Amino acid sequence: MNFSPDTVNSMKDLARLRTSVKESVELALNQQIQMEMVSSSKYLAMAGWCDRNGFDHSAGFFYKQSEEERKHAMKFFHYLCDQGATAYSPEIPAIGQEFDSLRSVFEGALEQEISVTDSINRIISICRRENDYATEELLKWYVREQMEEEYIARRCLELIDQIPADQVYYLDKKLASVTYDGNVFE
Amino acid sequence: MTGNVPVTYQEVFRTERGVVYQCDVSNRLILEFWDTHTQFSARDFAQFRRMVETVDIRQMALSTDAADDVEILALPRSERCYVLTLCEIVHLRELLNGAKLMLELNAMLRECGCSLTE
Repeated sequence: MNFSPDTVNSMKDLARLRTSVKESVELALNQQIQMEMVSSSKYLAMAGWCDRNGFDHSAGFFYKQSEEERKHAMKFFHYLCDQGATAYSPEIPAIGQEFDSLRSVFEGALEQEISVTDSINRIISICRRENDYATEELLKWYVREQMEEEYIARRCLELIDQIPADQVYYLDKKLASVTYDGNVFE
Repeated sequence: MTGNVPVTYQEVFRTERGVVYQCDVSNRLILEFWDTHTQFSARDFAQFRRMVETVDIRQMALSTDAADDVEILALPRSERCYVLTLCEIVHLRELLNGAKLMLELNAMLRECGCSLTE
């Protein structure tokens, strides 16, 4: 083998002709699709637990979150397909359906959001290593989204600490109304 | 096939057990392994390599179950399949990973305006 600058284009780069997404990025995005779908499934389990334990507003909050996580996964799925890469419909492992308390539900939600944020950051570092600026641009949207998600989960836990335990109905209502209006990037 | 390689085939990587070619006319990667000859698209080649990579060879080595003596790998978009022993999987991995490395090197060289030739 030798390197010859004079005979440029002697062998096609078949993978590049097929897609702009490198294999390592494709793999990471497929793992992220799975993670988002698992999040969606976990939030659905949380919504179900809240619903059957009388926390109707929190149930509504988690139903919405579950839908949102699925949309996040689909955004990656469509991106991969549009770029000529392969998106895989992920396997979803069994999800825990029971929780100790409303607090443990929201603690679980925060932990899930933190792992999603870490994962998004890890994919950005892969994109930078591979010079994949298009995917990095897409991921910036997720960075902003994760700021919002983490804020909301943390604020809900604060409210659980601040609102007295005997005001359960009020707490449930307040938890479902938490939003993040102060995103500095918007 | 090895004795009569079409002129459009460019050798990507070779081991004692097989060889991977690329054909720029058909945009296919050609795997010759033992006595088999298989053509892949770039996508299917990557998928097949990942299938070979994810075989649990530790399980194959440690298990006394006859079912673990071989691994059956279905080729993407084909009715054929490979039935491989542990040693064959190790050899196939060496060949496919070597080919992957050379294809990545080709991509990197193209990005900086060079190319890989024999």
